Amino acid sequence: MGSFKYALRDGTRLIIRHWGLAFLTVVTSMAVFYLIGASVLLVLNARHIVNFLEGELSVQAYLAPGADFEIAARQAATLTHVKEVRIITREMALERLKQRMPDRAESVTILGENPLPESLEIAVDRADSIESVVTALAAIPLIDDIVYAGGLAEKWARFSRFAGKFSLAILLVAITASAVVLFNTIRIAVYSKEEEIGIMLMVGATPTFVAMPFVLQGVILGGIGSFGASIFLALSYSGIITRLKEMVPFLPLLEQHAVVLELGLILVGAGATVSLIASLVAVETFTRRAMKPL
Amino acid sequence: MDIRFSGVSKVFYPDITALEDVYLEIPKGEFVYLVGPTGSGKTTLLRCITREVAPTRGQITVGSFSLRKISRVDLSIFRRDIGIIFQDFCLLPHLNVFENVAFVLEVLGAPSREVKERTGEILDQVNLWRRRFLYPPQLSGGEQQRVAVARAIVNSPSVLLADEPTGNLDLHTAEEIMQLIMSINALGTTVIMATHNQYLVDAFRQRVIGIRSGRVVRDEKRGRYNLDGEL
Ligand SMILES: Nc1ncnc2c1ncn2[C@@H]1O[C@H](COP(=O)(O)OP(=O)(O)OP(=O)(O)O)[C@@H](O)[C@H]1O
Ligand SMILES: [Mg+2]
Repeated sequence: MGSFKYALRDGTRLIIRHWGLAFLTVVTSMAVFYLIGASVLLVLNARHIVNFLEGELSVQAYLAPGADFEIAARQAATLTHVKEVRIITREMALERLKQRMPDRAESVTILGENPLPESLEIAVDRADSIESVVTALAAIPLIDDIVYAGGLAEKWARFSRFAGKFSLAILLVAITASAVVLFNTIRIAVYSKEEEIGIMLMVGATPTFVAMPFVLQGVILGGIGSFGASIFLALSYSGIITRLKEMVPFLPLLEQHAVVLELGLILVGAGATVSLIASLVAVETFTRRAMKPL
Repeated sequence: MDIRFSGVSKVFYPDITALEDVYLEIPKGEFVYLVGPTGSGKTTLLRCITREVAPTRGQITVGSFSLRKISRVDLSIFRRDIGIIFQDFCLLPHLNVFENVAFVLEVLGAPSREVKERTGEILDQVNLWRRRFLYPPQLSGGEQQRVAVARAIVNSPSVLLADEPTGNLDLHTAEEIMQLIMSINALGTTVIMATHNQYLVDAFRQRVIGIRSGRVVRDEKRGRYNLDGEL
């Protein structure tokens, strides 16, 4: 316990002594973690929109003349990514048309005969799979023509996938950047106390004991940075959401505070972990070298 | 802790032989002077004991520790039991006298009350209590030397390595420091003291190990500094 108090005292002293550096480190890691958080929110929202649109994903398949739609339906159902196949009879088609566009339906039935074809309505599990399902359907000889309105969902899915990759790249670059910044800050602090560390090690302080104040310094700086980033993120996100809802009211966006809170916790955790590792590495390499005999 | 050197040689890069085939046996509680001309290897020998220097050949054991392969944690534990008075003091300039000494105890995780008490005691012994708030650059050479001594003995080590501990002191103060080191030795601490101080070696007769060009050239139970006109 005594040694923790020592570490805390020395860690805070280090921060105060190198306050300019500490400030820069906090600002940098704040920016970095803000960037990470923002890109994660972007991805989450893109996924959310895709999920929403995927609720309506279906493909219409029209059969070749005289084809048995029972058989065609069974064949379609065996395809992967197909969630459900429904047979739309002529009557059902007419019913739908009547519901959606009553006047058009009247003009269609004026001839006395129902000209609407039978079709299959095929529900697809995900927006990404529409393309492959359509290709597979086209290969079934009983099927004559395929119509689908999944274009929007597919576009969003593509965007979501891109956003996922993009944010992964940002994540890697940003984590590396913050690790490097923290590593350097701690290393500067370590070198500023080079002499003292040397003597500490000579009188029998363990490398862990020597490392503690520096690691604490790193974790405090990284923690403050990521915590600040979370606060800013929460504030700016709610601002952006409010604005977007005014501009594009039908866009389904993540609004739960829980999401932002959870993300904040993860960011702070990540910040603490990254700084812990970075400062451990910075001190350890130093003490290892210092304890190596000539 | 007994100290044993068997066949220890140290060659510094590229080809400076600082120690050559040294065999030594220093039982627990002994007082040993290490004498020899400058550059003969005294400091290197002491630094082998703290494992700041690893021998090129040979073995060193101190108590139950074999220094050839000692883990980092064991090395720390080992060093806690060794007090060192460095030839160049190695005081921390931004810590005052009190902190320079207290630091050793803090580093070992001693409770703060004990740190205060023990540091006060030892500063009293080396007559630096009144200077406790000064920083090393504000002290005279002799005062700095005494801080270095205080720091080395504050945690009552089993072995005290003193590299020229009276180098900057007038004879009177040197004698005082010497008395202090002897009193620590009397309590059972092994002392190895490298020195050029002929007066002390001849006045306080103890075992004398003479080295020259890295070799042990003499080892006498109650020796003198200068024998037959040689070092
Ligand atoms: N790190 C090192 N690298 C290369 N040579 C070294 C190193 N340390 C010591 N030496 C050499 O080893 C020899 C012995 O040095 P050492 O410091 O042990 O002498 P000493 O007996 O303590 O001398 P003095 O009485 O002047 O303190 C010297 O020639 C020195 O130059
Ligand atoms: Mg020397």
